[in-house]
Order: sequence, then structure tokens, then C-alpha cells
Amino acid sequence: MEKKTKWGFQGNKELSSTAVSVRGVLNKLMRNINENDERPVVTLARTDPSAFPCFRTTPFAPNAITDAVQSFQFNCYPPNVGLASARRAIADYLSRNLSYQLSPENVYLSVGGTQAIEIIISVLARPGANILLPRPGYPQYESRAAFDRLEVRHFDLLPENAWEVDLEAVEKLADDNTVAMVIINPGSPCGNVFTRQHLEKIAETARKHGIFVISDEAYAGQAFGSNPFVPMAEFGSIVPVITLGSISKLWMVPGWRLGWIVTSDSDDILKNTGFVECVNSYLEISADPPTFLQAALPGIFEKTKNEFFSNILDVLREDANICYDRVNEIPCLTCPHKPEGSMTVMVRLNLSLLEGIKDDMDFCLKLAEEESVTVLPGFVVGLKNWLRITFAIDPASLDDGLRRIKAFYKRHAKK
Amino acid sequence: MENGSNKWNFQQEEGELNKASPITVRGILNMLVANINKDEDRPVVPLGHGDPSIFPIFRTAPEAEDAIVDALKSAKFNCYSPTNGLLAARRAIAEYLSSDLPYNLSPDDVYITLGCVQAIEVMLSALARPGANILLPKPGFPYYECRAACSNLEVRHYDLLPEQGWEVDLEAVEALSDEKTVAIVIINPGNPCGSVYTAQHLEKIADMARKLRILVIADEVYQHLTFGSTPFVPMGKFESIAPVVTLGSISKRWIVPGWRLGWIVTNDQNGILQTSGLTKNISSCLDVTTDPATFIQGAIPDMIEKTKDDFFSKIVDILRVSADICYNKLREIPCISCPSKPEGSMFVMVKLDVSLLDGICDDLEFCLKIAKEESVIIMPGVALGMKNWLRITFAIEPSVLEDGLKRLKAFYQRHAKKQ
Repeated sequence: MEKKTKWGFQGNKELSSTAVSVRGVLNKLMRNINENDERPVVTLARTDPSAFPCFRTTPFAPNAITDAVQSFQFNCYPPNVGLASARRAIADYLSRNLSYQLSPENVYLSVGGTQAIEIIISVLARPGANILLPRPGYPQYESRAAFDRLEVRHFDLLPENAWEVDLEAVEKLADDNTVAMVIINPGSPCGNVFTRQHLEKIAETARKHGIFVISDEAYAGQAFGSNPFVPMAEFGSIVPVITLGSISKLWMVPGWRLGWIVTSDSDDILKNTGFVECVNSYLEISADPPTFLQAALPGIFEKTKNEFFSNILDVLREDANICYDRVNEIPCLTCPHKPEGSMTVMVRLNLSLLEGIKDDMDFCLKLAEEESVTVLPGFVVGLKNWLRITFAIDPASLDDGLRRIKAFYKRHAKK
Repeated sequence: MENGSNKWNFQQEEGELNKASPITVRGILNMLVANINKDEDRPVVPLGHGDPSIFPIFRTAPEAEDAIVDALKSAKFNCYSPTNGLLAARRAIAEYLSSDLPYNLSPDDVYITLGCVQAIEVMLSALARPGANILLPKPGFPYYECRAACSNLEVRHYDLLPEQGWEVDLEAVEALSDEKTVAIVIINPGNPCGSVYTAQHLEKIADMARKLRILVIADEVYQHLTFGSTPFVPMGKFESIAPVVTLGSISKRWIVPGWRLGWIVTNDQNGILQTSGLTKNISSCLDVTTDPATFIQGAIPDMIEKTKDDFFSKIVDILRVSADICYNKLREIPCISCPSKPEGSMFVMVKLDVSLLDGICDDLEFCLKIAKEESVIIMPGVALGMKNWLRITFAIEPSVLEDGLKRLKAFYQRHAKKQ
């Protein structure tokens, strides 16, 4: 064998080309901030309310974990699918919102919502298959699908219709290779909450085309408007539903990375098609959430008082009001639907009213530089020349940030 | 539209079952545990896997538990962490590992992962390319084979030589590799063999890697768990010869496998890994995968700094005693032979002579029967690439180990071929 002069390993080029990511764009915006601006940075570009005192998690949650750590019983490896007590606690907790009782057998623990997405996309990815994703949406789905080589097709959410799913588009896009469709409810990035009737229509459309429904309910329980949150699992008798969730948003602890996948499927289709077996196999070879964290889950669910949740919802409601009102005062921004859930809202940018700003990324870069405010350019979530604004920060900072955006508009308004 | 006539577009394919059910340590263990006699009163003796955390004498350092509790209580770590891990944790790990190296690692050389398991997942994904192959030890740790299959990386096995302290068969390595070989994985201290490589041997491995122009992936999850005459030497010491990527975690040294915190560390003072684009790939993989809980990362600096040396020496002492018991008791069992006394890690690899047994044709059958008859779990070597060998863990409470080995002897006597 002739001696190689070059090293045999090289970067896998395909990997590097994945993802526009929220993190990537955020880093660019943060680098644009003027160091000499003494005002505090207002970050409306990323959703992580855990830093704010008004959103601090309930003390019962870390206490439950501390108890688990100090019990010394949970330093061992966990079972693949999760600790039985954790699965049972999740099944009970989610069943509170359902007209039937979920079984712990239908629950799989994951390292946050992020890994839940990883697992589902990996299991569904096979040569030739495709998945339907909402636009605008949550970019991790696209990233992971690209990484796993699962073809993505986008259906629109309709801004003039409370961001409901364009079901006609779904019908046109679906073919025999479409394995599933993803909905995010309460909606990220749009801040909407689907009605029961709409969810039922989604279920029926999916069933018609032989596709599973993946319902990303990371923001479950964070509906603060007039529309109540309805879990998609309610319709598990119409179509197999795979629900993704986590404690991250409701308990304000995204860094804890504790999530779940729940299957609701009264006709055992997920079992018969081999989906469940594939999930189990994947879990056998992937990393798990720390055992003590799983062990703490029953305590976290049980001991957290209702007031904790209602206080959070009150703050979010106040934030949503502030956001909607201030945005309405800014002529170049239009909010087609007042947010009623989750932590972000989509706002249309009218470039024709601005001078010297060529697109959403340009708007955001300049805003960061001139006003030390960051918002996410909509192209990251699939809608160019829109903006995603996170309103889940403390109300005073939100108000300040939006006023600075108004000042920015005035400075750049077309004469 | 009727239920029954519905067609669903997702369908698991024929033959996919093989891919869907890889051999994993967990999988085999589950199978053995399922064979245990439910009516058996005696407690199960788990000699099949490396998790001593359930035994009180192996309880982790109180400083480690305190570090986690403090991190939680501070409420500073409820947020998302950066892709490669919290800077403070990366810095602490860099300093910790540098104390064994002739140079200083930078925090940027450290990537935090969900245990060593995710470190393996990410490294293999980052290296995978159409047509590439990777060299793995036999016997080895089956998770590597599993992950290689997921990434479409071809696997080629080189032997570890039992009569030579389980050292790497370097001639085989050279013969196996070609221009598409990207890396060689070594596990030191060794799982399943319990071997600890000398500095000379590690240097020879580095020389070979350089000759073949391949990366060395050094799985050092059992770092510092050595109790024999050979001290632990990190492969990173030889990075000037060939680039080294070290995989590790807190799981074994701190006896907390359930905490899931590990790392990938690039030992690459010459920047070869950077130039090749591999470090970028590692980051890209980490970008699309989930991370360890931020508060566990937040606890790392205190955990590393405050854990006392006597905790570590206490653990090593227990392992030394257990390894001795294990080795000595195994020598009393005619059908089992141990080519190399374990010097490190938590395991020993022993050969099974089925010709001395009646009605047992191979290692798997041996393990299934001993699970059923004696409630003892042992890992069959076939799962690790060596049929008719057994992997036995000694990292359990010594009295439980003695009991288990006694039952093993009784099992042999019951099944010994009559002369």
C-alpha cells in the first residue's frame, strides 16, 4: 500500500451544510450590538424566560430533584424507555386534559423536547419518505430532517385565519410517501391556539392520506387567551397521534432537558406498522435523561401548586397585551393575530415604509446595532420579511424594547 | 372510511428488524434477566454490566451530590446551554485532563456530551463518509458497532491479544487498513478485558496511526481506574505523533452513570483536526442534538475541584480487592481460564471451555442457564465479538461478588462432564 500523505479523516461536508439555526443567527445579531451602548440589551429574539425573576421556577421543582439526588437511589443507569414512576406520572398528568386515561406504556422519556424531535424524525426517516412541516415553523425540525435525509414539504399556516393550517395545501402535498405531518400547538412561532374543530379537521385530513400526526405540545398549558388548549391526543381514535412535550416551558426550565413522546392510537396502528418497535430500538441506542431527574418527575408534577401556573399565565397575558398594543403603534409592523398562547408572535414587516432597509435580516442587524434590541428575522422560521418577537420576558423590559423599536422605525421611516 | 381498510404510509420494512434490533449490552442483559427464575428467593448477582452505583460502598462522593444541589439551588442554570457546553464546565474539564498531559488543553478543545454514549454517537457521525471504514477492537464495546451501522461506517475488527495482556495486534491493524480508513478506536483501561496499556504500547499505536494517517479515538471512560502495576497513561500524551480524540465521562470515576455527563476532547496541538474540518463537524452534530442538563454542567467545576483524593483511592482499593477475589475464585473453576489478570476498569475477560461441560454448547447458553439456575448474570463474549468467552464484572460489593462466584462454581459442578 503506498504511503498516504494526507490524513484519512476529513470533515463530513454534508453535515456542515445543515441548518440555518436560531443559535447561529442569534450569535450574528449579538455580535452587532454596540458595546458602547449603556442600555441593557433587550433580547426578543430567543425564548428563554428562565433568566427573569418573574418567571423563576417553583421551588418545589429543584427540591424534588435534590431529594432524588440525595436519596442515592438514582445514580444508576435508567431503563431505555424511562423510569416506570416517571412514565406513570406523565401519563397521569397528561390524562388530566383528556377524556380518557393514557397508559404509562405509551410514554417514552427523552432528553427534552429536542431529543423527542430527534427520535421521531430519525425513526420516520427512510429513503423516499417525506414529512409535512408548517411554515412558519420551528427550525429544528428542518435541521434534523436534513441530517437524517428525510425530505421536507412545507404547508402554510394562514395569517388571516388565525394561523390555521392550510388543509388544502396539505392535501395537495401529501402522497404515498408522506409518513407524517407536524403541528405545533400552542403555536411556535405564531402564538396561536388551534380550536377543537380545527384539530379534528386536521385529524381527518391526515387519516384520509394515511399519515400520522405529530403534535408538538411544548407549550401545552400555556394558552392564556379565550381559546382553551385541546391536546391532539383527543383525536387518537381518528388518526394515530404522537405527542411531544417537556417540562421546559411550563416550569420555565429549558436547561433541564426533560421531555417525552406519547403515543395515542386507539387502533394500535403505531404498533402494527412497526413504529413503536422502531422507537424502542432507537431508545436502546441513544442517551437518556439523568435517572435522578426522571425520579424527581412525579414529585414535580404532584407538588407544584396551581398558583404557580396561573401566575405565569398572568404575566404572559400581560406581556402579550403589551406586545400587541405597542406593535400596533408601529406603522411598519402588522400583527395579523393577537397572541393567545406560547411565548412568541409573528409580525409582518412592511419594508416599503422604510428607507435603506432591504430585508428582515437587515432590519434585525441594524436594530441590534442602533437600539441594542434583538428580534428574530422571519426567514429563520420560514417567512422572509416577517419578524418573530418573543414576548416572554419581564413586562417592563418588553415595553422598553418595543419603544426602542418604535424609535428605530421613526429614524428609518420613509419621508 | 373504515378503519381496517386504511393504508398507512409508514411501514417498517422486512429485514429492517436486523437493523432495528442491534446487539447492545442492555439488550443482552434484558434477555438474560428475563430468564431468571421468578420463584428464586436469592438476590440476583449482577456480574454482567458495569454499574456499581447501587452498592453503598460505591456511593459517590458527597461533594459531587452537593455540587448538583448547589447548582440547582442557585437557579442560575435553568437556561439553555451553549452548543458545545457551558464554558465553566469545559474549562474545568480541560484543566482536569491537562494535569495528566505534557501540555494544556483549552476549553475550546472540550465538547460536552450526554455521557460517553453521546460522545461515541457524535464522533462516529462526524467521521462518517461514503465508503469510509473504522478499526474497532475485538473483543470490544458493542455500542461502537451499533453506532457505526447507524452512520453507514464500515467496521473492520482488529484482535486484542490475550496472551499479550490484551494488547493491540498492530500487524493486523496495518493489514486491515486502506486509504478509506479514517480512525482506530482503542479502549484504555480496557473494556471488556481489564487491561491497562503501557506508555510504550500506546506510543506504538500512535506511530502506527501516523503511518496509516488515521485518527486515534481513545475511549478513556475508565481513566484512572487502575489498581495493578501499570499506571494509567492518557493517549493524548502522544498527540504530537498522531491526532487523538479522547472520549470520557464522570460516570465511572465518580460512580454516577445515571448522571449522563461526558466529553469529547481534541488533543491536537498541531491543528490537524481543525484543518480537516472535523472539529466543525463535531460542533454541527452537537447543534442538531440535545445537550446535558445545564445544571449538571454547572456542577462540574465544583465536583472536579472539591472531590477529595481519598474518595478516588477508596474506590480503586475496593476494585483492587474485588479484582483479586474474582481472579482467585475463577482459577478454582476448571472450565474457566483467565489469560490476563485484570489491572483496571471494571471487567475481566475469561475463556470458557465448553468441552468440560455437559449439555452446554456455547457461551450464550451458559449465560442463559446460569441466569435461570443461579440468578447470576454474566455477559456472553459473543456479544462483544468473542464466542465462548465471558465478560465478568468485579465492580460490585465484595461479599456479593463472593456469593456470585460461589454460585458459578456450583453451576460448573452441576454441569461438569462426568469423567
